[in-house]
Amino acid sequence: MSAALGVLLRMALRNLVVHRVKSGVVGAIMFFGVFLVVSGTAMLDSIRASMEKSITSSLSGNIQVYSSEAEDELALFGSMAMGASDIGEIDAFAPLRELLLGIDGIKAVVPMGIATATVFGGTEIDRVLNDLRVSTQAADAEGTKMRFEQLGQIVGRMRKDVALAATASSDPEKVEDNLASLDRVLAPGFYDELVADPSGTLDWLDNKVAPVAADGRMLYLRNIGTNLDTFPKSFDRFRLVEGEMVPEGQRGILLSKAFYEKQAKNYVARELDKVKKQLDQGKTIAEDKTLSELVARTATQYQRIAFQLSPVDATVVTEKLRAKLGTDGDLATLLQSFLTMDDTNFADRYAWFYAEIAPKIRLYELPVGEEITLRSFTKSGYIRAVNVKVYGSFEFSGLETSDLAGANNLVDMMTFRSLYGKMTDDQLGELAEIKAASGAKAVTRDSVEDDLFGGGGGSLETETTTTTGAGFDEFAGVKLGAAGSAGALDTTRYTTAQMEDGLALTAAVILDNPDDVPAMIETIEAAAAAKGLKVQAVDWQSSSGIVGQIVMVLQVVLYAAIFIIFLVALVIINNTMVMATMERTTEIGTMRAIGAQRPFVIVLFLVETMLLGAIAGGLGAAAGALFITWLNHVGVPAVADALVLLFAGPRLYPVFTASNLLFGMGSILAISALSTLYPSVLAARVPPVVAMQAKE
Amino acid sequence: MKTPSKLALLAWFAVGTAGTLATLPLAPVAHAAPAAGELVKMLQTVDDRQRNSGDYKSLVYIEQKEKDKSDLVYQAVIYRRDETDKLVIMFLKPQAEAGKGYLRVDKNLFMYDPSVGRWERRTERERIGGTDSQRADFDESRLAEEYAPAFVAEEALGKYTVNHLKLTANAGFDVSYPVVELWLDKATGNTLKRQDFALSGRLMRTTYYPEWMKQFSPSKKAEVYTPKEIRIFDEVEKGNSTTIVMQSVDLNSLDDSIFTKAWLESKSR
Repeated sequence: MSAALGVLLRMALRNLVVHRVKSGVVGAIMFFGVFLVVSGTAMLDSIRASMEKSITSSLSGNIQVYSSEAEDELALFGSMAMGASDIGEIDAFAPLRELLLGIDGIKAVVPMGIATATVFGGTEIDRVLNDLRVSTQAADAEGTKMRFEQLGQIVGRMRKDVALAATASSDPEKVEDNLASLDRVLAPGFYDELVADPSGTLDWLDNKVAPVAADGRMLYLRNIGTNLDTFPKSFDRFRLVEGEMVPEGQRGILLSKAFYEKQAKNYVARELDKVKKQLDQGKTIAEDKTLSELVARTATQYQRIAFQLSPVDATVVTEKLRAKLGTDGDLATLLQSFLTMDDTNFADRYAWFYAEIAPKIRLYELPVGEEITLRSFTKSGYIRAVNVKVYGSFEFSGLETSDLAGANNLVDMMTFRSLYGKMTDDQLGELAEIKAASGAKAVTRDSVEDDLFGGGGGSLETETTTTTGAGFDEFAGVKLGAAGSAGALDTTRYTTAQMEDGLALTAAVILDNPDDVPAMIETIEAAAAAKGLKVQAVDWQSSSGIVGQIVMVLQVVLYAAIFIIFLVALVIINNTMVMATMERTTEIGTMRAIGAQRPFVIVLFLVETMLLGAIAGGLGAAAGALFITWLNHVGVPAVADALVLLFAGPRLYPVFTASNLLFGMGSILAISALSTLYPSVLAARVPPVVAMQAKE
Repeated sequence: MKTPSKLALLAWFAVGTAGTLATLPLAPVAHAAPAAGELVKMLQTVDDRQRNSGDYKSLVYIEQKEKDKSDLVYQAVIYRRDETDKLVIMFLKPQAEAGKGYLRVDKNLFMYDPSVGRWERRTERERIGGTDSQRADFDESRLAEEYAPAFVAEEALGKYTVNHLKLTANAGFDVSYPVVELWLDKATGNTLKRQDFALSGRLMRTTYYPEWMKQFSPSKKAEVYTPKEIRIFDEVEKGNSTTIVMQSVDLNSLDDSIFTKAWLESKSR
């Protein structure tokens, strides 16, 4: 047996050497196919493993459980779909949590909800006027004086700008009006006016002076509501960057560090960061038009620094800028000149900006420790607003540079429920009552003109006789003041049960063994169905939304490429072997004539191709393994934001496993065998007489 | 008597047919376009009728229908002092919304929410309470001042004959929509239909005013017109619509303090 195998191998080897060109071509295809399989699957496995790490340990857990009545798929990191998605609701979280914790292998269950909100950034003058309102109401003379000085500083600079822009204005009357209002604030007796009538003066400032400044901006926040007490324990990538955790049981928000850097940072600082990033990538201000435009645009925004400096700081910065630039001028001129940077001075001025100016301005909107107003369009359509304190900022370790990972902020469950605004049955009943009392008849868009005007010809006008007297009492039966305690921050200490047991949108499930995901999904769904809970369970990849979809696309592309390569290999090997059979009929006939049976011929051909497959595939696998080892050494850079999340950091360090090698080798041997079946059967049919008929 | 020629008969028939066609309500009627001065006068009539030289208070019902969503309903009170361009909209019902409101002073629109105790400056395009209605829907009509009219055609709207006008915003006015089309009842001069367009020419909203209330105002010493009902259809988000019903109107003078931030704040304390 072994002797026969030896003969077969020797013959196969000899044939490969004799037909070296054909062997070379087929071998090269096999080599490339296996190289692709080994390196591709190793990369994909590494990406999946790193993504699993980053996603499960930052936000999703191993499994996410949400309503089976959801209209859309859960997408924790956002989806391609526009608009708000409907992922259903879990009305009562407690029964679901108890059910899940009762299943063996589940370590923790964390409630979650998603609610977007806006925060009005406001302008500097709006902020100062608000502060003035607070200090005058509190009769804080010192605070009022200080804020008033800051107001004077801002108004002084606004006046200069308005006067400067006056020549280009198409509405000189409006300019005159604005200048008169600004001059009134700068006039000596205005402080006394404010002290004498704070409310009236502040209203006048709100209406006449504040609109002269540029509009404030709206900041958008995507918030994940969760139990902030247990979140850091369940998601070990969570890291508090600044501030403190929200005190146990209290309302509060933790803002993502990425949100601060990309959205809440002072405009000038943010633009300078962008310039620095591009310069670090090798671009230059002199050669890159977009970059030079960015620098020029940033310089025009000097007011965003100037308006934020207190009178004292403005003097200090002016002096320092004079010394730094070696020129004279007022703060506005100096700042503009300072911000007009080029390749030679950017690094120095960037560092100087952060050392000397940044500490004196409000570098970030919504700073840690501040109370902010989150406003949301709720599920029911009503606008809800809630005041919360920003307790700190956070990031996920390894994902610091990922915008996707930093797209979510964290709020407590009570705040989430306020922003989500699900209506109770009583509230729905109240709406029905208001509606019934209105007497408005229902009309449809299609027939509205007929419904409203079709019966016309008569009078469109009705007479009402009530002209004098008491009129009507709009407040009869109305309960005002029930909405809240007029802006006071809710400092109630909620129990875990209060935080967790109400409405949630999903449950993040952390498993003891992450490899159990598929089996646990089945167990969870079966257990929930038995209890009558309408929920579905999905793995971390499905729940991650856009990021999970990227991996799916990568997987499909890789497998499609492998399939095509192997299909090509199959056809080429098959054709080559058919041609070889035809060329080698004499040789086969001779073998058959000296006693070789048909199975021997079949096996000979199979061994020949599989030997080639083993050699070329082995080399391909080795090359793939070497390639991955090299990548592991240098790291694959995450060039796009989504890749940071996929790679669980700025670089991916892929590894290969025995299964990648076995899969590569197994595939090529299977392809070799499959593609040789037909030619070998064809060869086996060659009769011995062919050898005798062959010409010399 | 001389028999008319075939040609004369044909001409008579043609004139008759054209005349009959011209009276059909669907086609625009071929009338001489009113002079520019007349058009401005039409707008002034619309404005003057709604203007009250004194104060104005009304109780309104606002209902917003949105596709695939439950209806949004409010009861609100509107206070207006047109003389000084002041307006307050305060929500009274449902209870969760009570005390929220808007204050317009000059060209500033502020929103107040008692649950957070804060004011926010809003834009002219603010969707009042998240509905398709805007500040201008509740405010004094200033069409003649804000827009320049052009005549489109005399048309039929249901069983009413209407003047169809196209208005373009005058420079320097902060209006919600730069182009507006109006359909004014020829008999009464009241606005029956209005369409608002974006600068791109895209139709944004269609509004109907099926009924107008007249009320004698002692301060104006004339009648003040108020739309009893306003139906707004969102033309961008098809399927969304807002209905406003004026439940009561009162033309008595109001306290000065109402038009201040402090008043709105105090109502929820």
